[in-house]
Amino acid sequence: MNGAVTIPQKFIEILDQVFEIEKKLESINEPNSLGRNVNRLKECFEYLMSDGGLIYQNPLGEKFNETRTDLEASIAGNSAENLIITEVIKPIIRLRTNTGVTTIVRKGVVIVESKI
Amino acid sequence: MDNAINFGIDLGTTNSAIAKFVKGEVIIYNNPLDFGRATLPSVVGYRKDRILVGNQAKTYQEKDPKSVVGIFKRKMGTTESFKIKSINESKTPIELSAQVLKELKTFVNTGDVLDATVITVPASFDLIQSNATKDAGYQAGFKQVVLLQEPIAASLAYANMKKTNELTDGQWLVYDLGGGTFDVALVKIADGEMRIVDHEGNNFLGGADFDQLIVERLIIPKLNYEYSFSNLEKELKDENGKINGKYYGLLRRAEDAKIRLSAVNSAEIEVSGFEDEEGNDVDIEVIITRTEFNELIKSSIDETIEMIKKILTRNSLTSADLQFTLMVGGSTYIPYVRLRVEEILQLPVNCEIDPTTAIAVGAAYYAATKQKEISKVDKQKKLIPISIKTAYNKTSKEIEELFSARIKGNIEGLFYKITRQDGGFDSGLKKLTERINEDLPLVENAFNFFTFTIYDSQNNVIETDVETIGINSGFGISGQPLPEDICLEVDDYDNPGETRLALVFQRNTVLPTRRTLTFPLNKTVIKGTTDEVICVNVLQGSHESLPESNKVLGTILITGKNLARDISKGSDIEITVSLSESQDLTVSAYLNMADQEFKGTFNPKERHTPIRLLKEQVVDLSDKLESEIAIATEKEDYETASLLNKLKKEMDSISEETERLTNDDVTDKRYQLEDKKRKVAQEIDSATKHKRLQAVKELYYNVKAECTRLLEKAGNDYEWKVFNDIVNQEEAFMSTNSPTKIQEKSDELQSIISQIKWKTPGFLQGIFNWLKEEQPRMNDQVQAKSLIDAGKIAIDNQNWERLREINYGLLDLLPRGAKEQATTKIGFGI
Repeated sequence: MNGAVTIPQKFIEILDQVFEIEKKLESINEPNSLGRNVNRLKECFEYLMSDGGLIYQNPLGEKFNETRTDLEASIAGNSAENLIITEVIKPIIRLRTNTGVTTIVRKGVVIVESKI
Repeated sequence: MDNAINFGIDLGTTNSAIAKFVKGEVIIYNNPLDFGRATLPSVVGYRKDRILVGNQAKTYQEKDPKSVVGIFKRKMGTTESFKIKSINESKTPIELSAQVLKELKTFVNTGDVLDATVITVPASFDLIQSNATKDAGYQAGFKQVVLLQEPIAASLAYANMKKTNELTDGQWLVYDLGGGTFDVALVKIADGEMRIVDHEGNNFLGGADFDQLIVERLIIPKLNYEYSFSNLEKELKDENGKINGKYYGLLRRAEDAKIRLSAVNSAEIEVSGFEDEEGNDVDIEVIITRTEFNELIKSSIDETIEMIKKILTRNSLTSADLQFTLMVGGSTYIPYVRLRVEEILQLPVNCEIDPTTAIAVGAAYYAATKQKEISKVDKQKKLIPISIKTAYNKTSKEIEELFSARIKGNIEGLFYKITRQDGGFDSGLKKLTERINEDLPLVENAFNFFTFTIYDSQNNVIETDVETIGINSGFGISGQPLPEDICLEVDDYDNPGETRLALVFQRNTVLPTRRTLTFPLNKTVIKGTTDEVICVNVLQGSHESLPESNKVLGTILITGKNLARDISKGSDIEITVSLSESQDLTVSAYLNMADQEFKGTFNPKERHTPIRLLKEQVVDLSDKLESEIAIATEKEDYETASLLNKLKKEMDSISEETERLTNDDVTDKRYQLEDKKRKVAQEIDSATKHKRLQAVKELYYNVKAECTRLLEKAGNDYEWKVFNDIVNQEEAFMSTNSPTKIQEKSDELQSIISQIKWKTPGFLQGIFNWLKEEQPRMNDQVQAKSLIDAGKIAIDNQNWERLREINYGLLDLLPRGAKEQATTKIGFGI
C-alpha cells in the first residue's frame, strides 16, 4: 500500500501553508472569518478525488515515543523520556479513502520535549 | 532460470538503501515506514525491550547516545564496541551493521528469498574492514556476500543509465557529498577493468553542517540585531537552554530553505513563537539568498576541492587527463557545489544519476553479473511450527487498544514486529515470548490495520497463519448507521420551475458525520426586501424520489430582511450539514458575499415546519396533482387518472386547512398537515413513477439512437469511448428503475450530441441564423454587429472553427433569459 500512491508535491506544499495559516489564526482574534476560508480549502483537499482526498493532522500535545513512525521528531531539552509534542513544524498528511482507510503520504515534522 | 545475485545494498555511513536488478532494469525498494523515501538512516537504537533501526532510532541519537548508535561504519574492522546502556551489553560495529542490513531486508516486499547480495564499501576500506562488512552480511542471514567499492558502484549506475555497458578506457572522479560525510575517488578503466586509483575523504563534512551554518551565521545574528537577547546562541543550543526546542525547529527550517535554494534564488525562513528577554514576541522572516548561502558553504566546498587537488598531484594528473566528475550524494543537488567544483577543476561535472540511490543501483547492476553459489538445499524456507492465538477489540473509541497474543511452540531465537499499515506505527523488533501484550495506537475515525510479523534471528520472515489485525476506531460502538438518505432540496436546472434532491449523506453512513456543499446562488437578494427567499431545506428519504415526498428535517429561510448587505447572483452559499450520533441535525448556511452565517439545530423529535413553506409546498403539490391528472387523461391512462383523482379530494382538504392556518399558529396542526401532504406526495410519486420511468427510458433510447447516428457521421475516438462506456453500463442503470439515474445517463449522451453538433457546419449555420434574429436583444449592439459580419465572412470561407467561436461570442451577448428566472425557487441548484 505504502509507496503505491503518488501525490503531487505541490498539493503537500499548499496543505502545509493552509496548516500554517490555521495555526496563525488560532493566536489572533481576526474579524473577517478567515477560518471559514481555511476550512473551505481543507474541504477541497478532503474531497479532492472521487474516492478520497488529503487531510492533515496536527499532533500538537500528543505523546511521542519510539514507536511513532508518522513523525520526524527532534528532541529538545536534556531528557528523552515522557515526551510530548510541543511544536509542529509540518503536520502529518494522510490520504483518506471513502472507505475510512488512511495512508500517511508525508510524515509530520515536530519538536518534542520531556513532560515536566 | 536466472541464478544471479541481483540484490545490491548501499550500506552507507549515514544512509543505506537496497535495490534489485529485474529484467534489465533496477528497482529501488521504498522504505515502508518513510513514505516516498528509499533510504534508511544507518542508526540502531536499543530502547527497553525493542530494537529500533532507521528514522526512529535517529530521533533519539543525540539525546540518548548511550543507547542509540550511528556512524558505526567508521569503526568497522576495529576492536572497538559500543556499550549500550539500556540493555547493558556491548555491540560491535558488525552487529550494528547486521541490524541495518536486516532492516533493509524488510523493504523487500516481493517475496524473494534474500540469501545473496552485493554490499558496497568505501574506497578507503582495507581488507579487515571489508571482511567485517562481509561478516555483517552473514550475520544478517545472507549466505553469500560480494563486496563492491562505492565509487565503482556509482560509475556502474552511470554507465547503465547511459546504456553504455562498457565505458571507454579513461579516468574520472566520483565526488560523493552526503548528509554527513564526504568521499572522493579517482576511478580508472584500463583494458576493460574498472578500479579505484586513489581516494580522499572527510567523515565530518556534509549537508547537515550547511543547515547549522544557516542558523548560526544568518538567523542568530539577525535575531540578535532585531531583538534583545544576552546569549541567544547558548539559549538555543544548550540542552538546558530556555529555547532549546526552537533550535531544532530552526535547523529543520534551514534545511527546507537550503533545499528550496536549489531551485529558486531566495528563500524565507519564518522565526516566531517565542519572546526575547524584554518580553517582545519574536516574529520575523529571515530572507536568505542563494548568493548568501553560497558564501556560507564556500569554505567547506573549497576544502573538498583541495582534497581532489591532492589526488591529482599525487597521481601526476591535471584536469585535462580526466573525463568528468561524477556527482553522488544528496548535497550535490546544491547548484553551487556543482558550479564551484566545475569552475575550479575546469572539468565538467556529471549530474545525470540520482545522487541518493546511485550506489545501490550500481550495486544491483553488478549483482546481476554475479552468480549465486549457494546450494539449493539452503534456499528452502525454514518451516517453524508455532501456533498463535490473538485477542483484541475490533472496535474502539480509545486512542490505543491492547493487542494480546499467546504463542505455543519453539520460540527460541525468534522476534516479532507489529506495524500499522498506514506507515504510522512500528513496534520495533522485539523478542518473541509466550505471551505478548502491545498497546496499538489508533488513528481516529478510521479503520486501522496492523501487520504482525515473526522473524528468525536473521530477519527472515517466519510464515504464520495470523491474519491482519483490524481495529475500527471512533465509530462502530455507538455510531449508528443512517436509516435513510439525507438530502438537500435544490433547483432543478433541467426542469425549470421544479426542484430536485442533492444527496448529502447516503443511507447507512455512520454517525456522527458532517459535510459542506457549496453552490453559486441563482438569484440576487436585496437587503431589506422579502420578495426573494433563499431556502435551505434538508430532507430525509431516498434522494431519487421527489422532494415533496420526503420528510423535512430542518429548514432555514433567508430573506433580504436577514441580510447585512445585498447578495448577488453567482456568489457562493456554503451549506454545512452535521448529524450527531443521536441524529441531531445542525445546518448552517454561510453567504460568502455578506460574510453572514445562518444556523439552525433541529432535533428529529422536535419537528420544524415553517408555515410559510408548508403553504407554498401545498400549493405546488396541488398544481402538480392537477397537471398529472390532465396528462394521464390526455394519454388515456385511465388507471393512473383514477388513482390520482382519488387523491384530489384529500389534496383539496389539505389545501383548505393549510390556507386557514395563520403564520403564528402554535398547535400541532401544521405537523399533521405536513404528514398528510407528504403521504399524498408519496402516492403521486408512486402512481406516476411508472409513467416517469417509462418517459425517461423512452427518452434515453431516443437520445442513444440520435447519438449513434451522429457518432457514425462525425464522432471522434474519444466521443466513441465515452459513448461505449455509458452503453456498457446500460443493463446496470436500467435495472435500478430509478428515473433520476436513467435521466443522468441521457444527459451524458446529450452532451456528446452537443459536442458533435457544435462541429457540424449545418448546425453551426442554424445556430448562427437564430442568433442573427436575436440580435436586437443582445447587450452590446456594436459588438453583436461586428460578430455577425465576421460570421457571414466565416460562412463564405467555410471557416467552421471561426464560426463556432463567433456563435459562442454571440451567445454570451444574450441577456440571461427568462428560463433561468423560472428556476430560482430555492436559490441554488444543480
